[in-house]
Amino acid sequence: MHTFTGIPASRGIVIGPVHVLRWEVPEVRHRIISDEAVPDEIARLHTAIGRAKDRLREVRGRAEKHAGDEEAAIFDVQASMLEDSELIGGVESLIRQNIGAEKAFDLVMLEWRQHFAKHTHAMLRERVSDLVDLHIRVLSVLLDLPDHDPVDLPPGANAILITHDLTPSLTVQLDRNAIAAIATDEGTRASHVAILARSLGLPAVVGLRDAVGRLHGHELAILDGSSGLLIVDPTEEHLTAYRDRALREQADEIELGQLATAEPMTLDGVRMTLRANVDLPDEAEQGAQSGAEGVGLMRTEFLVVGRATMPDEEEQYREYSRVVKAFDGHPVVIRTFDLGGDKLPVGGYPAEANPFLGWRAIRMCLDEPELFKTQLRALLRAALHGDVRIMLPLIVSVAEVRQARALLNEAAAELDARGVDYRHDIPLGVMVETPAAVIVADTLVNDVSFFSVGTNDLVQYTLAVDRGNANLASRYTPLHPAVLRLIQRTVEIGHQAGLEVAVCGEMASQPVMAFALIGLGVRELSVAPRSVPLVKRIIRGVSAEIAREAAAAAVAADTAQAAHDALAERLYSAFGDAPFLRHGLPVVVDGHSFESSAGP
Amino acid sequence: MIEREVQIVNRDGMHARPAAQIVKTAAKFQCEITLVRDDTEVNGKSIMGVMMLAAAFGSTITLRADGPDEEQAVEALAAIVANKFGES
Repeated sequence: MHTFTGIPASRGIVIGPVHVLRWEVPEVRHRIISDEAVPDEIARLHTAIGRAKDRLREVRGRAEKHAGDEEAAIFDVQASMLEDSELIGGVESLIRQNIGAEKAFDLVMLEWRQHFAKHTHAMLRERVSDLVDLHIRVLSVLLDLPDHDPVDLPPGANAILITHDLTPSLTVQLDRNAIAAIATDEGTRASHVAILARSLGLPAVVGLRDAVGRLHGHELAILDGSSGLLIVDPTEEHLTAYRDRALREQADEIELGQLATAEPMTLDGVRMTLRANVDLPDEAEQGAQSGAEGVGLMRTEFLVVGRATMPDEEEQYREYSRVVKAFDGHPVVIRTFDLGGDKLPVGGYPAEANPFLGWRAIRMCLDEPELFKTQLRALLRAALHGDVRIMLPLIVSVAEVRQARALLNEAAAELDARGVDYRHDIPLGVMVETPAAVIVADTLVNDVSFFSVGTNDLVQYTLAVDRGNANLASRYTPLHPAVLRLIQRTVEIGHQAGLEVAVCGEMASQPVMAFALIGLGVRELSVAPRSVPLVKRIIRGVSAEIAREAAAAAVAADTAQAAHDALAERLYSAFGDAPFLRHGLPVVVDGHSFESSAGP
Repeated sequence: MIEREVQIVNRDGMHARPAAQIVKTAAKFQCEITLVRDDTEVNGKSIMGVMMLAAAFGSTITLRADGPDEEQAVEALAAIVANKFGES
């Protein structure tokens, strides 16, 4: 038995035969050729390219079968690249300098790959993996290596695909009937193969470093996507333990799936509202399908980050409308730009020494009224398509809210002047994520329609802990009584004034925290789409009254650990030995995970 | 030699697939074809070149053709661009 340790990329357990696929750039030796040999070498290059294009046609056909016409079209692009006069010309010119065809091609491809990888435009960086595919394909022909990329496995093989990295060629040929899991030598949690595996629902482990070299193929293995392990030739004990775990996780998945249409109501009849956090318009459909009743937080930074120009009103209007329409009448709360000046494509603002306390979010927007009003106009127009609500981030004073409202009115007047239609009474609310906002919450209530607590930042500012600092990971906890008391105060003041008080930080998806929030009187939670079923299950399994008792004890506790224990004790007695509570969904903030440390 | 300015009107701009369409169409013509955006000029028959232009939605490029069939070439290319490369 041998255990390979990698990075968990997509959760799930698969027990099956390993299928090793060698598809990586081969080593190329430098070879000098004579002047007389040059014409033949150039001919050799062209023959190889011709054969590579033949193989591309085969791959395209297979891709159409397994993935679809659109995905298969990428191979037309690859074929065009092989016809590119600049690329071929570059290789020929090196051959004329007496370099063998393989080395010449290798050098030219390395240069193009570097060129594309460093480009400012994402659309070019995305093409690097296509160049890698071509690099491998043509060199394989030139070096007479066997053509490994057909992934033809019998259906039901339940195989674990082991490969160096998942290039487009491999991805679109993935036969989902035969491949049940993916393991790669390269990759990180955020790389293409991990994202793809998660979206396909295939368990995956990446970053194994040397699996391809050390495996023959057909060995029985266990892939544990949640722990990042590949256990080859496992013992009987391991097999039994994992088979049991796989069954339990399957049962869990089915149960969670059935929750999509269930009502988020506690055992004692308290009806919660569960919404989704959306980072990109692409996530909107997923959010709508998760059973969320709207969007509690739509972030808008994607429109700005990494861009060469600020998005204009039309583009913003299109993107906001897309999300609003996906949620078909449910409330969609959109947060105005929450970033620092240094992230803006315009203005040349420098980075700050202390960005979390810096010129960003509402401060930046109020100082850049034209920029802000462009966003506001787009929001006012998008609001015609559904129940849109505007949320202002990083508020510390009602003065900021009033200034923002004045600009909102100006934006509306500008639309009137152009004769463009918009929603006239759009609700305006604030994120409560600074101690100041909580302390003076009573001064905010008359100028806003709702509060939304941003736990991530609130914990940071209240406990004076940088959430990105690995040394402080254990000190960063939303269960600190200081944070719980601030949330409690916000809920009390908000509810007294008749305002909705939501919590939209990802911590709401952590079981113990969700329980605390219910107990503190929060009735609206917004979490990532994939967390919606889990939180719904927590809501349906607890009594709000018991949660209230637990939260009261937690608020009165003198340490975060004591607060946690008061909550965990009552939560675990409600659910018994439930695996989902114990494994929990670790709450990961900027790469550092916060996990419940106590258990039953 | 003739030139025509066109605007990129499909949402995702001139990414890989539109670039491939341009190049495939350009290959049918004898004339030399150049695409220009701001200060950058690229060979319209080279997919690497066209992709490097990275022409996003809303940007303006100049189609330049020089040779016997230059008029048909510019017409054909302008038509694909205006047709949003068959996308939205």
